[in-house]
Amino acid sequence: MRGWDEGKGERDESRRRLREALSQSKSDLSRSWKIYRRSLLAILGLFMVVSVSLVAIFADDIAVEHPYRNLQDTEDKWSIDYEPRKARPFSEECDWHEQKITTNPNSPLFSEIVVAESDDKVGDDNRYYRDTLTVIRLIKLDDSLGYDLNLSLLSIDPSNSSLLVLSPELYGNESLYGGVWLTYEFDNEEMHHWWLPDGHDVCIFGTNDQGHDLFSKVVYGARVSLKIGITVATLTVIIGTIVGSISGYFGGRVDEFIMRICDIFFAVPGLILAMAFVAAMNQITSLTIPVWLGILFPIFVLAAFSNSYLNSTVPDDDQISDQAMSLIMQYRGHLLALVGFFFFVGLIPGAAWSDFFGISEGRSWRAFAALGIIAVLGAIVLADRRFFLNTSFEGGLGRIRDSFDWTNPWRYLTFRTLAVFVSLALLFSFSGNEGEEMVLIKDFDRLWKVQAALIFTGWPGYARLIRGQVLYVKEMTFVEAARSVGARPGRIMFRHILPNAWAPLLVAFTLDIGGTILSASGLSFLGLGADSYTAEWGLMISESRRYFLLYPHLMLYPGLAIAVTVLGFNLLGDGIRDVVDPKNRR
Amino acid sequence: MKLHEFVVRRLLLLIPVMIGVAIFTFAIAHIIPGDPAALQCGDKCGVIVDYTEDGDPISAYEASRIRLKMDDPVRVQFWRYITDLAEGDWGESLLYHRPVIDVVKDAAPITLEMSFLALFIAYPLGIMMGIISAVRQDRMFDHVSRFFAIAFVSLPIFWFAMMLQLFLATGSVDTPGICDPVTGWLPLIPDTEGGCFPIYGRHDTSFTYPVDGYAWYYPAGGTGFHLVDSWFVTDEKLATLPSEWGSNWLLFKDTLKHLALPCAALGIASAGSLLRYMRSSLLEVLHEDYVRTARAKGLSEIRVVIVHACRNALVPIVTILGFSIGGAIGGAVLTETVFAINGMGRVAVTSIQYLDFAVIMGVTLITSVIFLLSNLIVDITYAIIDPRVRLE
Repeated sequence: MRGWDEGKGERDESRRRLREALSQSKSDLSRSWKIYRRSLLAILGLFMVVSVSLVAIFADDIAVEHPYRNLQDTEDKWSIDYEPRKARPFSEECDWHEQKITTNPNSPLFSEIVVAESDDKVGDDNRYYRDTLTVIRLIKLDDSLGYDLNLSLLSIDPSNSSLLVLSPELYGNESLYGGVWLTYEFDNEEMHHWWLPDGHDVCIFGTNDQGHDLFSKVVYGARVSLKIGITVATLTVIIGTIVGSISGYFGGRVDEFIMRICDIFFAVPGLILAMAFVAAMNQITSLTIPVWLGILFPIFVLAAFSNSYLNSTVPDDDQISDQAMSLIMQYRGHLLALVGFFFFVGLIPGAAWSDFFGISEGRSWRAFAALGIIAVLGAIVLADRRFFLNTSFEGGLGRIRDSFDWTNPWRYLTFRTLAVFVSLALLFSFSGNEGEEMVLIKDFDRLWKVQAALIFTGWPGYARLIRGQVLYVKEMTFVEAARSVGARPGRIMFRHILPNAWAPLLVAFTLDIGGTILSASGLSFLGLGADSYTAEWGLMISESRRYFLLYPHLMLYPGLAIAVTVLGFNLLGDGIRDVVDPKNRR
Repeated sequence: MKLHEFVVRRLLLLIPVMIGVAIFTFAIAHIIPGDPAALQCGDKCGVIVDYTEDGDPISAYEASRIRLKMDDPVRVQFWRYITDLAEGDWGESLLYHRPVIDVVKDAAPITLEMSFLALFIAYPLGIMMGIISAVRQDRMFDHVSRFFAIAFVSLPIFWFAMMLQLFLATGSVDTPGICDPVTGWLPLIPDTEGGCFPIYGRHDTSFTYPVDGYAWYYPAGGTGFHLVDSWFVTDEKLATLPSEWGSNWLLFKDTLKHLALPCAALGIASAGSLLRYMRSSLLEVLHEDYVRTARAKGLSEIRVVIVHACRNALVPIVTILGFSIGGAIGGAVLTETVFAINGMGRVAVTSIQYLDFAVIMGVTLITSVIFLLSNLIVDITYAIIDPRVRLE
């Protein structure tokens, strides 16, 4: 091991380079911004996107009502029957409440003084409770058949406006023993007024047939839509970039094969394909992969990363370790077979992977068992010195290896600590799952299904785009130069080609966020998207379809929200295109 | 490459894609949870319908499985599916109780009629606006039209369709729409019922004489395109209806009015994107040398733009046609749902909602065939217009 001062100069140098790179990118950014702000439309788009994002981030503070989250749900659902029941748009009727009053004196529920209270609500502790409401004025009194009664049958207690006093005529009348329904206006602001100043209507967009405040739903819908849009666009970009660059770089049969697959995807209209895919995933409730895969994968990643350390710390002159290594080397095959046996022969009782973990229910035991397996595997990998001596990594991996210079104590400490922490965390979270499957997405709810369907249908577009770019860049001289000095395909691809092909990708990414939001809302509109009562804009339009001639506001605002969001992303994408692709700028 | 070689090559390339689509639809229909046999026998699955030779009872469910040949291995089922497809047997719909090919045959012309009419409106509109926008680059018109082009692309189709219904369609008794003849604005095509456009459907069903309104007049054996069929209907009772330009005009006008709103909803996005393509395509051409030459010769600006520049600028626009047909069919799913038109999109939605496997496969297949064929035609046209393409 070298001393602690070793590599100080290198660290300073790298710090200086980082600073330089930062200032460089800063000046790049300011130049781009100068180009970007020339276009009014682009600025408008940026403004829209930023404001929608802000609304999504601060939805909790802006919204008046909040979705009720069941213990079993992961989606925000609006399932509480909140106060404003018979709601009409744009009015104080948002503060109306209808309450049933028992008028049969023989009933155990009967009393002459009735407390005005809300319907059952579910609190954070998942229990029912009711709020006492302050009555402002009485609106209507119906009997159980819906006929209007005289309001004077009932009055508000002058000393406490939460109490309603029944008159003897009301409970003395046998024909009303079925109970009466009282509609009154209550002081809604006790619950809501912290958002709008006094005197304003709270439900500015009105409420829907379920009594959900439309404004709050639209606000929360921004979260759902942005989540879908960004997740889907990011994942499709990643998949499409990988597939497309492979296709473009290697060409030939690989290219032909991938492009034919893309053709198949293009041939079926995306929405129909996504619909079928959502239907196909109908019964999947959680997305899982087998545990052994989930643990093996991080091990291999770690093994690949710590390769150089292993390479440098397996000393030739260390007799003891050499002996141990050679011993392990000798029985390497047996050990591998044993471990493979544990992993793959899941059918034999006592040796199955889940049973191996399942000896004790304790989490730490599971973690230790997994760590033991990792140790065995690591020893085997360590023992195979030929592997390390004969392989050398080029490109990105090589650089990563160099940066993990394990003889440098600083880096050694940080990396080892990090690696131990990461692997422990992974093991803890992964081995804690029940059964043989590791849960990737615990609640594979309908929103996830929509996202999966859109990713599934979306990647060929990117693959084709990136392929074209790679084909174009591949022919340039600098790629040829890189190839002629013997760079590996991976290095050429990631170091030389992709950095020069990212511009259209960024534009397509931005535009695709908007497109994805449109498609997701379309799917929801068809009833194949979000679950009912989720604050998803497409779903809100679909739910209000029945009343849209009478209450067009129910579809107007969610639709406007979609349009504004998508428009924002489209304008933003256009603006970015102007910046990154000067050829198209006119 | 000669033109016919190009065509043959493109046709051959179509084959693997079609096989791939068939595999794809087959796979999806088999992944979708649900049991076609259970769906077919419904609530009578447990009923004993027959006995085997050994005397064992066969329930309706087992009978359905046997009839659908579901006990065969998947590869056998797939091969049978492919061969049946080739022979024109696309299976039987569980929902409609009809052969799938009939369902598709009824639905396809409806969607095609709508999509084609939508594109027929969108193309001239988009191209014209694109030209004006390019010529008046960076003026007010350009900015405004570009903004609207992007806005149209950003509108959710279903929402826009509903807004059209709200503002332009016949109001109900309770809420007269804007088009109400008494109170309203926009008396575009005043009609006996009042209002500009019908709110849904393909025919006037409130028409009093026959049970089904105008739908009654269309015979089953027509082309399915009602814009065409309406001119060939001969019905003596129809002939008695009062009309200025002959009784068939009534039918045609009715069809056209029903198509107007769906087509507007469907075509608006295409028009928007076309405007942008046309604008950038024309701008590129306007900077070419030969345009400068034309200007230098002293030709009028209109002649330069229309005759010299547009000719070349329109060439790349042709390729977009193929994609817009695909987009229109995809958009038809939403538009038809809003306007209650039983085209392919609606059939697709219902079949997926009710897990009607055979129809899902049939609709997916037929939409992809339409898309591929239209793309083929577009590509061939492109190769004719621009011979450079053939050399690729």
